[in-house]
Amino acid sequence: MSAVLQSLVNQPYKHGFVTDIESDVAPKGLNEDTIRLISAKKNEPEWLLSFRLDAYRKWVTMSEPDWQNVHYSKIDYQDISYYSAPKPKNKLASMDEVDPELLRTFEKLGVPMHERAALAGVAVDVIFDSVSVATTYKQKLAEVGIIFCSISEAVHNHPELVKKYLGSVVPVGDNFFAALNSAVFTDGSFCFIPKGVKCPMDLSTYFRINTEGSGQFERTLVIAEEGASVSYLEGCTAPQFDTNQLHAAVVELIALDNANIKYSTVQNWYAGDENGIGGIYNFVTKRGLAKGVNSRISWTQIETGAAITWKYPSCILRGDNSVGEFYSVAVTNNFQQADTGTKMIHIGKNTRSTIISKGISAGHSNSSYRGLVRITPTADGARNYSQCDSMLIGDQCGAHTFPYIQVQNNTAKVEHEASTSKIGEDQLFYLSQRGIGAEEAVSMIINGFCKEVFQQLPMEFAVEATKLLSFKLEGSVG
Amino acid sequence: MSNSVTNSNDYLQYLLKSWSAKSASELTGLNQLRASAIDSVGTQKLPNKHDEEWRFTDISPLTRLTYPPSQQQSRLQFSDIDKFCLQNTTNRLVFVDNHYSPDLSNVADSQIQILGNLHSLMSSHASTIESHLGHYAKFDHDIFTALNTAFLHDSALIIVPAKTCITEPIHLLFIASQQEVSSYPRSLVVSGPDSKVTLIEDYVSINQSSYITNTVTEIRLAAHAQVEHIRVQRDSKQAHHLANCAVSLADSSQYQSICVSLGARISRYNLEVQLTGENSNCTIDGLTLISGQQLSDTHTSIDHVKPNCTSRQQHKCIVDGTAHAVFNGKIKVRPQAQQTNSSQSSRNLLLSNTAKVDTKPQLEIFADDVKCAHGATVGQLDSEEIFYLESRGLSKTTARNLLTYAFAADVINRIPVASLKQQLEQIVLNQTQGI
Repeated sequence: MSAVLQSLVNQPYKHGFVTDIESDVAPKGLNEDTIRLISAKKNEPEWLLSFRLDAYRKWVTMSEPDWQNVHYSKIDYQDISYYSAPKPKNKLASMDEVDPELLRTFEKLGVPMHERAALAGVAVDVIFDSVSVATTYKQKLAEVGIIFCSISEAVHNHPELVKKYLGSVVPVGDNFFAALNSAVFTDGSFCFIPKGVKCPMDLSTYFRINTEGSGQFERTLVIAEEGASVSYLEGCTAPQFDTNQLHAAVVELIALDNANIKYSTVQNWYAGDENGIGGIYNFVTKRGLAKGVNSRISWTQIETGAAITWKYPSCILRGDNSVGEFYSVAVTNNFQQADTGTKMIHIGKNTRSTIISKGISAGHSNSSYRGLVRITPTADGARNYSQCDSMLIGDQCGAHTFPYIQVQNNTAKVEHEASTSKIGEDQLFYLSQRGIGAEEAVSMIINGFCKEVFQQLPMEFAVEATKLLSFKLEGSVG
Repeated sequence: MSNSVTNSNDYLQYLLKSWSAKSASELTGLNQLRASAIDSVGTQKLPNKHDEEWRFTDISPLTRLTYPPSQQQSRLQFSDIDKFCLQNTTNRLVFVDNHYSPDLSNVADSQIQILGNLHSLMSSHASTIESHLGHYAKFDHDIFTALNTAFLHDSALIIVPAKTCITEPIHLLFIASQQEVSSYPRSLVVSGPDSKVTLIEDYVSINQSSYITNTVTEIRLAAHAQVEHIRVQRDSKQAHHLANCAVSLADSSQYQSICVSLGARISRYNLEVQLTGENSNCTIDGLTLISGQQLSDTHTSIDHVKPNCTSRQQHKCIVDGTAHAVFNGKIKVRPQAQQTNSSQSSRNLLLSNTAKVDTKPQLEIFADDVKCAHGATVGQLDSEEIFYLESRGLSKTTARNLLTYAFAADVINRIPVASLKQQLEQIVLNQTQGI
């Protein structure tokens, strides 16, 4: 039994290849000159350079957080290249001009970059080593007034919007990694949905780290004006290297009155080999501001990759009646470590939040749920429901729960529940006596365990997530 | 009497100065323990809000209270403490400002070795004391345990021999009678194999004055031992109460704890239970009932070291006024502790719109074949329940009082000592009456 599960869990990483593409890589190291270089290379306006320098100066005074339940050797921030871009980077008029090598890369990854591959019906912004290489369906989106482009383009074409919102949800000095990102971010996606527009298709960003020794620092900014709504997807992969690479992204979401933003992530960064060598350090700050009344922000994440995940997608529920949601599945295997969760800050009246978190640990991995639910004195009638379940597969792994509940308003109602268990012998027995093989039975139980979260994903992602989960855990059940 | 010291280091220096070797006992082991504790105090700092364990509890006001260790002075009569005594409880040890008071104490049961004065029992039970005292409540990482050990003086010492069942509960009554003093009560309970005992640890005050109580309790359960531990903290509303309790369980032993926290301006109770034997089991119930400007912090840790153990915990807080309740319950399951079954619930009732609760149930699990669950709720009284009672003719106030009382009674009803249960029921009724 154990062997079957073992083989179930240990599928090799499929996206571990390196694309041989000429890159423009900045020398390693970080100082004010590096930041000026990045800014100059991207031909940025003065205000953005001072934004970066301000962040850098704050970053220098900060120290790396050590409260999280993960262990790794110190990162040498001077040994990272802070800028890496695929070389022939002329302005691209259409998808046909994209470097064919790049196209093949994304073809291999199954990302529909070609507009002809319209079947998927998803507009994609592709970020290769933190530079946006292509955005599809721009035209079609522009017709309804949606701006969907790389953040560098947005800086040039819509500076007033970027200037207004950049750093408004995650201030430059928010935390160590957010400050680092604010100083050196090279690209990312920008999305603006104007008043009353329901985005006609799902928007998507695809992140790929390619160059060894580079860090990826991208920045995503999504703004939904009054009554607008959008569903945003994010996917990530990286090649297999023995060295650890740093990914420190910042995502900011802003929802005005009656706006609705749904942000889904399927994270499958390279997780290191079975001995825990290599892999991505995924230190990400994601935060949404439900600024307007009746606004809604929903985070869904499937975290399967990365050697270390440190990520807490949060919602600040400022508008009255605003809603925050967090659905997460975190799967760790081998020596992966994940410390992830959410923060729900209730400020407005009658704000509601739901947290569903499922953690699955196998091998020698550790996964932690760390969440904060804070009800401030102004949040009359606030309501929260949290549920976090963990499943352990094997006796070498760990599952941890750190829920912080802080309530300062007696009209609020907060509920939290958590459980930890393994796959029951009786459940497996039941399925096997119905003629279902052990492997399939385990996969079925795990999918059932995660169902509440998968239901939140757009259909294509849900299919992918289910598949991802089944190889991820191939061989670990038994 | 008290001069103000603002810096926490200065505060510790002040305390160190008041420590003197004059209370040295004839036992070298005890002197060594005290000396190493005072050395440890020298290397530690007072915790502040940047320490994760003290994030919600600001104890900086303590540094302004440079209270000297209490001296023996008050001559309390039995009539003074009569109201605290429990009916039908004949085993009673009384400590007034941490000084053992043999006149007020009474031990009816000859089977137990029970004494308040460490020195007198030391001669006959030196080896037992040396092998247990300071072994469960470690002072290297806790400044308050270190201070308590350094200032160790009289202590309640209870040794229950093997195969002995003590039917009468033992009432440990710690009375504060002086103001602006610090006292360091200490208790050690060693229960032998197959023994059974009920312990009531009770902190009371004669008047509503300001003082500091820093207490440490150690309980060791040998194989198949059963200990019921009821802890009632009804200190003065001006007092500061800092408490550590360490419990160690051997194979198949059972520990039941009920902790009721009512008093003190700022109180902190750390309960650490280690299930170091297989098939052992612990049940922990807690009730915090505070109002005004009180702050009550309960930190518990249940450490499942060995397989096949069970633990169940329930903690309830009722918070009124601008009071602030903190609960942090950690359940740790070590890699070899398979077949652990553990549940924990934290339920909090906020009665006013300025009351505040910070709760953090925490699971750290390293074994796979376990069942662990925790839950937490924060809310106010259910309006439908109030409506139901109103529809039966109760006034809104009565309905609210009744529901609040019922919320607390859940914990109080678990107390196995009838007389104490009645006393506490009355206190809870009085408190909820004002709401």
